[in-house]
Amino acid sequence: MNPTLIGIIGIVIMVIVFMSRMPVAFVMAMIGYLGFSIMISPQGGLSLISRTIYDVFSSYGLTTIPLFILMGQLAFNCGISRRLYDTGYKFLGSTRGGLAMATVTACTAFGAVCGSSPATAATMATVGLPEMKRYKYADELATGAVASGGGLGMIMPPSIVLIVYGILTEQSIGALFVAGIIPAILVTILFIISIYIRCRLNPEQGPAGETFTWGQKMKSLLGMGETLAVFVLVMGGLFIGLFTPTEAAAVGVFGVLAVSLIRRQLTWDGFVKSLYETLRTSCMVMMLIAGAVIFGKFLAVTRIPFDMATWVGGFDLPPYMILTVVVLIYFFGGCFMDALAFVMLTVPIFYPLVTGLGYDPIWFGLIIVMVTEMGVITPPVGINVYVVYGVAKNVIGEVPLESIFKGIFPFLLAVIVGIIILMIFPQIILFLPHLMY
Amino acid sequence: MHTFWKTIDWILDKLKIIGAICLVGMTFLTCADVVGRFFRHPIFGSVEIVGFMATLAVAMALPYTQQIKGHIGVEILVRIFSEKKQTIIDLCTSFLSLGLFLLTTWQMAIYAYEMHESGEVSMNLELPEYYIIYIAAFCFVIFSLIILRDIIQNIIKLRHS
Repeated sequence: MNPTLIGIIGIVIMVIVFMSRMPVAFVMAMIGYLGFSIMISPQGGLSLISRTIYDVFSSYGLTTIPLFILMGQLAFNCGISRRLYDTGYKFLGSTRGGLAMATVTACTAFGAVCGSSPATAATMATVGLPEMKRYKYADELATGAVASGGGLGMIMPPSIVLIVYGILTEQSIGALFVAGIIPAILVTILFIISIYIRCRLNPEQGPAGETFTWGQKMKSLLGMGETLAVFVLVMGGLFIGLFTPTEAAAVGVFGVLAVSLIRRQLTWDGFVKSLYETLRTSCMVMMLIAGAVIFGKFLAVTRIPFDMATWVGGFDLPPYMILTVVVLIYFFGGCFMDALAFVMLTVPIFYPLVTGLGYDPIWFGLIIVMVTEMGVITPPVGINVYVVYGVAKNVIGEVPLESIFKGIFPFLLAVIVGIIILMIFPQIILFLPHLMY
Repeated sequence: MHTFWKTIDWILDKLKIIGAICLVGMTFLTCADVVGRFFRHPIFGSVEIVGFMATLAVAMALPYTQQIKGHIGVEILVRIFSEKKQTIIDLCTSFLSLGLFLLTTWQMAIYAYEMHESGEVSMNLELPEYYIIYIAAFCFVIFSLIILRDIIQNIIKLRHS
């Protein structure tokens, strides 16, 4: 049988089995194994699964993932988020919609120590929602701000999705991290503008809060000090070549642990919870990588990625049009599937195509992370929405899912504007990596 | 039977604790190596040990992650079905998963045996890597048993309904 046809059949079966709720990692590994066995040999397929899984588990390059996850989990359990929120609140609280602006700013700052989008959303929802309720903010704006702001944790380094993208495409993780800083700040500014416009049109949505003196504002900056110190140490050490990504992550864990011990804000239970949660997330991510690698090897022997690149090239379409189609695929895929899983599944297919068109791999990585980030706040999957829904139920009472999705809409527009800006001006992403690498 | 599953749960719990210890170990060893390097005394073979600890941490987390249903799946379609249909679908996919991971366990044990036979050791510390692969294969055994328990529970659920 034609290898390309086998590949296409494999992809179709995989999509069907995905719908059965079977874990994505298992489906990719299973289809990859079966396809490889048909294409090469049953024994080849058997060796492929066990050795690939072991190679992924034992890869030193991938040890950075559990460590960065642990850093985020410790930050999640030790009260850093409250101090970040307080600083944002002191500076922006007196403006209309200021608390929502403080929330998204704190989300970006928290994203600097936490690479997970739902963890950022959950943390900021716990801290921000009661405050916004107290100042009579509309539930839509309050929940929309935390759910959308949480997505910033995925763009702001250290980002787990960017690490995985870097490993799959053999790009420098340091360069990807540094490339993520300006887009994260850009999206934060766009979120703030969107909140400003919203509260200008409808002041009931976010009434102004109390005003603070400059002395109080400056004093509150101390609360950001430790986060900034850890971020500068970790990212600075990585950028100047002092640490490898794994070492940077270990130093980050140590830094957050030291801060929480000095401030006496991490309990033993919180520490153990962070470790177990890290084990769970790391195992899930590593299995996804193993599944994607097995599936990628099957795809490689079917030559689908290369055939697809040749096929698309035959249309003689302008590169930006092809890129737009790829971005739309990522957008719709992100709506139905977890961002990390979708990136891992599709990168082996689209990466050769897009880089073949002459686009920068670092730039493409950031674009797809931003596009799939929209998936965490769009229906029907929208993991951040469900996280915020769950937290809101406990801290301010039930907020209907429709209200949260409604509240997200202006933020979604802001992300789309951000992506369009970054597609038109790739220098915004590439400026820092080119300066440093 | 009850004692058997209780023992499996006990092993799962201990694996989880050892996995957590490995996480802490790799953090401190890496930091100690960075500090040691700063004073021109890096820890010899730390990269290898950290790699082994990471392998153990992830492998030992496998049964725990399965127990708490920590892997990502696409729920969008299944959610609209009745509970009975959902259980039947889960039963089918669990069988597929069990088959896949039994094969993985078997092949991993063969891989460890081959490494043992060839006398292959790690590059710097010359540690026998096959021990780690055997432990990983053992974790896959427990992981597969947890999937088997899900299957049994789903069958019982179907019978009751």
